[in-house]
Amino acid sequence: MFEIARYEGRNRLKGSVYLSIGMALLAALVVWVYPSFSDALGGDELLEAYPEEMLQVFRIETMASLEGFLAFELYTFGWIVLLGLYVAYAAAGAIADDVDRGRMDTLLAMPISRARLVAEKFFALSVPILVVNLLTPPVLLVGSRLIDEPLAVGDIVAAHLLSIPYLFACAGIGLLCSVVFDRVGIAQRVALAVTFALFLAESLLAETDAEAFGAIAPMRYYDPNEILLEGTYDLVGAAVLVGMTVALLVVSQLVFRRSDI
Amino acid sequence: MTAIELEGLTKEYDEVVANDALTFTVETGEIFGFLGPNGAGKTTTIRLLLGFISPTAGTAQVLGRDVTDESALLEAKRRIGYLSDEPGFDEGMTGNAILNLHASIKGDSRREELLELFDPPLDRRVREYSQGNARKLGIVTAFMHDPELVILDEPTNGLDPLMRQRFADFLRAERQQGVTVFFSSHNLSEVRRLCDRVGIIREGELVTIEPVDALLRRSGKVIRIRSADPIPIDILERAGVHDLETSVSNADADPSTAFTECVFTFTGDINAVLEGLSDHELIDLAVEEAPLEDVFMRFYGGEDDV
Repeated sequence: MFEIARYEGRNRLKGSVYLSIGMALLAALVVWVYPSFSDALGGDELLEAYPEEMLQVFRIETMASLEGFLAFELYTFGWIVLLGLYVAYAAAGAIADDVDRGRMDTLLAMPISRARLVAEKFFALSVPILVVNLLTPPVLLVGSRLIDEPLAVGDIVAAHLLSIPYLFACAGIGLLCSVVFDRVGIAQRVALAVTFALFLAESLLAETDAEAFGAIAPMRYYDPNEILLEGTYDLVGAAVLVGMTVALLVVSQLVFRRSDI
Repeated sequence: MTAIELEGLTKEYDEVVANDALTFTVETGEIFGFLGPNGAGKTTTIRLLLGFISPTAGTAQVLGRDVTDESALLEAKRRIGYLSDEPGFDEGMTGNAILNLHASIKGDSRREELLELFDPPLDRRVREYSQGNARKLGIVTAFMHDPELVILDEPTNGLDPLMRQRFADFLRAERQQGVTVFFSSHNLSEVRRLCDRVGIIREGELVTIEPVDALLRRSGKVIRIRSADPIPIDILERAGVHDLETSVSNADADPSTAFTECVFTFTGDINAVLEGLSDHELIDLAVEEAPLEDVFMRFYGGEDDV
């Protein structure tokens, strides 16, 4: 068992380490600019100059604290948008790339079921999802102490732990695209478009009549503001994300079992 | 005992019938050649047999397992080796990493032995492989778990003549061990050297299926004649003469009624031709086995029936 997952996971390790370093550098940059940003503008004056929609889309609640600044600059932008799109894109290649390049026949000629192949390829995505969350927390915790704005260890750890089910749900969207489209380019573009559309819909529809529509977006169930500013951890949201991930995985398996490749 | 059995196996795409009601069996321990030009439907048949695509109609069994029943087919796949018509390997990985992956899933009891015969550069990435090396790696992956049945799609594409010969010897030795081989090809000389029986497919339909020696008998002889004096063409106007080409080297002969040189394929009694020639002085006469290509052309050309 897990031969394919191990093989694919190893293939993803190097890229994941680079990704993790990149995100840690972004985190360091955000912490580094915060003091001068806060001195120059003080409080939330800048926010008043922004249009309401912009604040809503980027979920900006406050920039008067490092936590609020990070929630927007690092977690909303970096984790929810960038990494969400990245894992959706990576997952969209998981099956479609092998089909597109004629490698799937060689894999499926081996005694391995299609459902297992899909599951193992999906589990291999846990390598980037976990590795990307390793470097940033220590960078933030050390950096925040260097600028005398110490962050709570528990909140930072929670922000990263709770991002894991969120990222798996985004990967689930990509995986479904990967089994529906056999051209990898199309699968990846659709995965990016759907993930970004869900992000926009969830942000813009909040507090409107169509708010219920946002319930299908993974972004609704991971809220860095709530974690960092209020210290509350939405475990129900995390459970919903796990449920979404499992559902997307199972549907992808069923689709792939029935498809001609 | 049959290794592969197809019954009315059909695969239709929107407008195209890629496989049209194919019915035949491959016996255990034989080398079966599946011949046809590109686009005839050979790869479709192979992909149906391995469950990559599902049939529109009909059924097929490999090693006694229904190809549309995934779990039954998985059981059979432990005992099947497969070589795809494209290299089909992860280009960023080394040959070794790929063999290790295959080994972890299906076993590799014959890996070392095979690598002595077929030796791709295992430490290099597949991206740097020549077509021949990728094919060698494919051959190793197809046989490394000691399968009972191997399904090979154009196995010798890209192999140099030496490797082709080695592969042919290897397949014959495998047959001696009781392995069943089903391979598709458009390389006719290879098929004639290797196969026990041949199935010919054209536009998705099975044209004929017979032992390779019967096919060769049916294919007739190529006869070349050179004579000193013009010979009337009408002595060759008889049943069994195909693709007659004549020429004259002698200026005073009429090329429409006589020849001094000719070549044709003949599927009748050769003595009858020799009798007709006995009154003429020949410079040269050659009787050769017809290349299977010509037989093939006759099946595909459609004008001249054998």
